[in-house]
Amino acid sequence: MIRLIFYWIAILFLQFVVFNHLGFTAYLAPQVFIVLLITLPLHISKPYQVLLGFTLGLIADLFVGTPGIHASACMWLVIIRLLLLGAQDLKEQIANHLPYNVHSVGLSTFAATTASLVFFYHFYVFWLESIGAINGYVILFTTLVSALFTLTVIGVVQLLSDKASGEF
Amino acid sequence: MQRLIAFIEQNIYIMLFILLQAICGVLLFSLNPYQQASITHSAAFITDKSNELSSTVTGYFDLQEQNKLLQAQVASQFKNDSRTSLYFMDDTLTLRDTSRRKLFDVLPAQVVYNTIYKASNVFIINKGTKNGIQKNMGVISSQGLAGIVLQSNENYSSVMSLLHINMNVIPTINNLEYYTGLKWDNLNPQTLKITGLNKLEELKVGDKVYTGKSSLLFPAGILIGEISKLETTTTSQYFTTYVKTATNFRNLDYVYVIVNKDINQLVPLLQEND
Repeated sequence: MIRLIFYWIAILFLQFVVFNHLGFTAYLAPQVFIVLLITLPLHISKPYQVLLGFTLGLIADLFVGTPGIHASACMWLVIIRLLLLGAQDLKEQIANHLPYNVHSVGLSTFAATTASLVFFYHFYVFWLESIGAINGYVILFTTLVSALFTLTVIGVVQLLSDKASGEF
Repeated sequence: MQRLIAFIEQNIYIMLFILLQAICGVLLFSLNPYQQASITHSAAFITDKSNELSSTVTGYFDLQEQNKLLQAQVASQFKNDSRTSLYFMDDTLTLRDTSRRKLFDVLPAQVVYNTIYKASNVFIINKGTKNGIQKNMGVISSQGLAGIVLQSNENYSSVMSLLHINMNVIPTINNLEYYTGLKWDNLNPQTLKITGLNKLEELKVGDKVYTGKSSLLFPAGILIGEISKLETTTTSQYFTTYVKTATNFRNLDYVYVIVNKDINQLVPLLQEND
């Protein structure tokens, strides 16, 4: 449990202190913290997952001053994740209270699900943020760059967690 | 009931999701300036469109009333148009006197029954003797000549349409009046025929055909139609002239009855001369 809390705090710290302030380019705004929602333990009930998504999104909104955007996106992410996971055979993982990660479901399944969710999340957030001055090319390019960066970080985190404990 | 509870329990996360998304929507559009401006702009656009749609729909509700007003307005214009009205000078010694009295009056009416496929087509209008309409009054549409009143009762009048085999109008083409009848030959509901026009006459397709001064029922200059075809043979001395009617009898809704105010004084004079 302590490891789990540490993991959450570490990821949120990285997001709000480092990734929110990269400043290399306007096209790079990775939302790495969504890995927390993607890798949620599989036995958690659906209403709790939705509530958790809403809360985490609101916290993310507080740090970037965009009330409602991340909260909405996180809940969509949770719902789409539930749909994607519903099509996968995860009875064993649920019975063993395992989180959804590369070790519990395998690389290809995890990579496909994560990539879909990460691209969706970034596109949705950038689209909501740009309402009023939507530029399709900018949104797509920012989504592509930021999602690839996020996926790389998630990959590294998965790799590290594997080395460290075999969990997460 | 148990099924309902089970359904709610099973889908409570969806309801929660919808509720929380609504809260997000409120936060998004009330606390983010760009999104707020955007939704205000979109709301204004939607309001404009809905108002436009609403006025389009409600516009139909008083269409009949508007038609009546419009018809009255057209009738008034007919009355005041010097091309379609005849004027009598009250004082023949002072020709430039502006006090003129109109010979023709115009009464708007609505067509309540109409046929075009019979040999003797008649339409009925919703004005009768109560409105001052009598037999042998001319009837025009906003497009041109339409017919002659056959008979009237208190509220309605039947009108012999131009598409009636007994109809005979004296046409004026290029300011020349031709004393040969313009008749309907019971073939095409948009075409009348003039026979006996000499080939030496300078006629061409497209020439307008008007009423002339040889009728007391209509003012001169009411459009009847335009020449659509000129037929002749090498051995014939005459044209068979086809005239496309200006009035579309397939879609005749509103007409105007021409009232010659001095008809009772004019007819006896003509009869005496005959």
